[in-house]
Amino acid sequence: MEDYKFLFKVVLVGNAGVGKTCLVRRFTQGLFPPGQGATIGVDFMIKTVEVDGEKVKLQIWDTAGQERFRSITQSYYRSAHALILVYDISCQPTFDCLPDWLREIEEYANNKVLRILVGNKTDREDREIPRHIGDDFAQRNGMYFLETSAKEAENVERLFMEIAVELMEQAKCKELPKYDGSLGPINDKNKAVAVAKVHVLN
Amino acid sequence: MLPINKITHRLCFMMSKTLYITCCCGCCSALRPRYKRLVDNIFPALPQDGLVKSNMEKLTFYSLSSPEKLDRIGDYLFQKASRDIYRRRHGFVIIAMEAMDQLLLACHSQTLNLFVESFLKMVQKLLESTDPQLQILATQSFVRFANIEEDTPSYHRRYDFFVSKFSAMCHSNHTDKPTRDSIRLAGIRGLQGVIRKTVSDDLVENIWEAQHMDKIVPSLLYNMQGAEKYETVLCLEPETDTREGIEEPPKLAEACLRELVGRASYGHIRSVLRPVLTHFDRHELWLPCDFAVHIFKIIMFSIQAQYSYSVVEALMQHLDASGGGSGTRVRAARATVLSNIVAIAAGDSVGPSVLEIINNLLTNLRASVARDSELSFQKESDERLYQEALINALGEFADHLPDFQKIDIMMFIVSKIPSGRGKPTKADCMLQSILLKSLLKVGTTYKTTELSKAFPAAFLEALLRVSSTSEARTRALLQRILHTLLDRRANAPLLIVPTVNYEQLGLTVEKCSRPDLIFISKHGYAIFSSLYEGLQLESNTAENISAIYTTLSLLAIELASEETVCDMLQLILAIQQSAISNPVLSAAQQCQLHAVAVALAALVPHVLVLPPLGDYVKQIIEARREEAEHMLPPLSDEYDVPPNKLPNKLPYLMIDQMALGECLKASGIEPSRLQTASPYTGGATVGLAHRHSWVEAGATQGRDSLADISAGPVTELDSANSSPGVQRHPAQSESVSLEALRRAASGPSEAERRDAERRKVSLNNTFRTAPFDHLLHITQPKYEIQDKLEEIFNSISEEPLLPVGAGSPAGKTQNQVQPYTKYLTELFLY
Ligand SMILES: Nc1nc2c(ncn2[C@@H]2O[C@H](COP(=O)(O)OP(=O)(O)OP(=O)(O)O)[C@@H](O)[C@H]2O)c(=O)[nH]1
Ligand SMILES: [Mg+2]
Repeated sequence: MEDYKFLFKVVLVGNAGVGKTCLVRRFTQGLFPPGQGATIGVDFMIKTVEVDGEKVKLQIWDTAGQERFRSITQSYYRSAHALILVYDISCQPTFDCLPDWLREIEEYANNKVLRILVGNKTDREDREIPRHIGDDFAQRNGMYFLETSAKEAENVERLFMEIAVELMEQAKCKELPKYDGSLGPINDKNKAVAVAKVHVLN
Repeated sequence: MLPINKITHRLCFMMSKTLYITCCCGCCSALRPRYKRLVDNIFPALPQDGLVKSNMEKLTFYSLSSPEKLDRIGDYLFQKASRDIYRRRHGFVIIAMEAMDQLLLACHSQTLNLFVESFLKMVQKLLESTDPQLQILATQSFVRFANIEEDTPSYHRRYDFFVSKFSAMCHSNHTDKPTRDSIRLAGIRGLQGVIRKTVSDDLVENIWEAQHMDKIVPSLLYNMQGAEKYETVLCLEPETDTREGIEEPPKLAEACLRELVGRASYGHIRSVLRPVLTHFDRHELWLPCDFAVHIFKIIMFSIQAQYSYSVVEALMQHLDASGGGSGTRVRAARATVLSNIVAIAAGDSVGPSVLEIINNLLTNLRASVARDSELSFQKESDERLYQEALINALGEFADHLPDFQKIDIMMFIVSKIPSGRGKPTKADCMLQSILLKSLLKVGTTYKTTELSKAFPAAFLEALLRVSSTSEARTRALLQRILHTLLDRRANAPLLIVPTVNYEQLGLTVEKCSRPDLIFISKHGYAIFSSLYEGLQLESNTAENISAIYTTLSLLAIELASEETVCDMLQLILAIQQSAISNPVLSAAQQCQLHAVAVALAALVPHVLVLPPLGDYVKQIIEARREEAEHMLPPLSDEYDVPPNKLPNKLPYLMIDQMALGECLKASGIEPSRLQTASPYTGGATVGLAHRHSWVEAGATQGRDSLADISAGPVTELDSANSSPGVQRHPAQSESVSLEALRRAASGPSEAERRDAERRKVSLNNTFRTAPFDHLLHITQPKYEIQDKLEEIFNSISEEPLLPVGAGSPAGKTQNQVQPYTKYLTELFLY
């Protein structure tokens, strides 16, 4: 007997300081950590949610945004079911780097991976990237899009829940073998779902 | 959705709570399966009381007698622990884990497999918790498991999660340092466990796949780079290898890296090295290079010896890679790392890999020279640092190879030297000098025994070819290579500059061996005439002349024998003669040659102990000291000589051939060979028929080319020319004077005159010299010869001063075109 029926691996990427760790901690621990330090290498969190009465375990790998850890963090892309690409809506450079990130994802992740673009820190007054710009970018690149605030807990729960729902849907319609613990390899058949069509979540 | 979620959770919680209470009371134990009761009973009422030992024994006994129940026991323990983790009752979790550990160790049955699944689920469950204590506990259990040899490994089991999680733990950023260290240590131990568990069986999990190595390797390196200082030892002490013993992450990471590298087979080395190189680039760890040296040495020390070459290879291929802060300094640092490890590889390298390494280094050198020559040559560029580092690597590598391979390497390097075909470009010159420096570096590591081994014909021939290059500094470098290869008795440092006082020097002289005599009888002429020609070049500095002196004096010592004495003296006479008759030489150069001739003349009787000859030379020296100090060592760059003291005005201060003959006779040596025609053609051989030179006879550079070793002993020259004391200009010189006279009206400069002389003479010789084919075993494609002939004839028809010796028939010319120049030049395989 398992304590969950589905296991999905979610990886967060994006420039240093955009709030990846805060998003994860908001979601898994329900708090906004004061003075959150930069992530070194990779952090790991787990959270089990329930979708349609079924338990879904989300394994969340929170990667460091700093350049020097890029090679180890890239090695985590490969087994991801979903990749959350985060930028900071109050920081233009973090948005400008998105194409680079997409290239990396292209290179290292499974090409069927579910990709979600997240503009974080909506609570901030000094917005630099209008919502529709992020939205457009996501559309053009076949990604889901959502704006969040880890600080105000806005859209954070929703972000992960939508991912769980979408992945479960994919898993079901492809009659995927469910994951046995995490000991199973990522099954490439899992990834037969193209995300060509764009769903804007909100 | 969320509320439902919460409700469900709550519901679960309540249910399990009820269940738990029930269990504890044991009211309904009769209704429960026996194994569950046994499991329940190992838990104390209060977690701090610890595992109930007696009940644990019962459970173990039961498991051993009913192994088919083992998997259910495991699953049940896992379920209980999961609930306890959820309720944060960590004390009970720890007890459950301990029980599983004990069962794992106690039960070596085939059914262990099923139990292992629960066991690993349990470990994973604990690793997923945010509590460092549980994570560390889980790692310990995992390591215990990793050390068990399973009879039948489970092929569907995957370790992906463990590698990912342990690697994350290796990067723990916990604010409390002791906690951080213990999480990191646990991470490293966990990785070590995964490696041990999987390494021997690719079917279980191919740990060498990039997705694993890209996590494991950087995790280890990240911990090692944090060390306060890097101490590299050949191998770690055994006790530090015990899993529990090491308390510092860097040390443990090192032990783990060594183990990993040591287990890598050939196909897997690259999987380890690639992330290492990437890590150094990403973390910009090349500069300063002490950490890189530390790591690469560790790799070299722990790799299976037969694969050590791949490390060198990988690093070499990475020399030029971008990244790591990039730039030339990083390249230089990488090359320095290379020079630090290449020696370790040398002992194990065999065959083609040796040349591959050399070739690769040379390729990098060449690329660097190309970059360098593009820049303007201001300041000591970083590129030079890089080149130095590469050359050092080359030397380090060669130093640790057996001597026969050093010769191969030197031949290989020589083959890469661009030969002066046409006007050498700046890049060519730089490359030439860089390669010669490399050659010198390798040559210095070589210990000559027999000359024939140090100088295989093709190698000797290639060296002599380069000795005529137009760059004076490069020529000096080449002589230094000859010195290091010739000097078996450490005399070279004593003979750097010409001298006549050999008594004080303390030279070491031994009698020449039989094989050396054979060698010199075969190649002596080629060597001597090349050195002779080297002395005739207009661009020579005192450094060049001193360097050739050193070579000749070393030859005199290394080949000390009554059988060679005549050859040596004949050469000395020829040098002296050329100082008088070679029109291209400046007054300073003439003086320098006289000084060299007498210095060598003084050396011969010292080496062979020939008192009459010694006395004779001493007389000349004394006389010169009185009258013409400028004809004695030391050499200087400028001489201020009054016209009446010019050497050609002082025939009585010359070394005389007849007198030499008498001296030899007095010592019982047959001097007849001294009287034979000199094979050296006085000043007339200037710019002798090296193909390049006569092909470009019109060009000013042409002259500084190798004295053709094909200039055979058969010569039409009047033997009187070599007879000293007789101040008779050779025919060629006369025609020069005529030519000079003819031009006098239009006022030809000294340079013009020399130039004209040079062209004439060189062309003359083209058709006069007979082939000297001892050295030549290399065939040349036909069309080459034809091309050359075409060029020759073209240049001939363009040459107005040409006294074409009765227009040599093509057939004859063809014989004279020696194919050797082409040898190796096309080996530029870059
Ligand atoms: N105002 C505001 N600040 C936020 C929000 N999320 C994160 N921050 C702040 O942004 C800074 C960086 O947050 P982190 O979560 O550490 O960023 P990260 O993406 O994990 O950074 P790396 O680990 O270095 O890659 C912290 O000072 C956070 O307090 C947000 O939603 N609103
Ligand atoms: Mg972070």
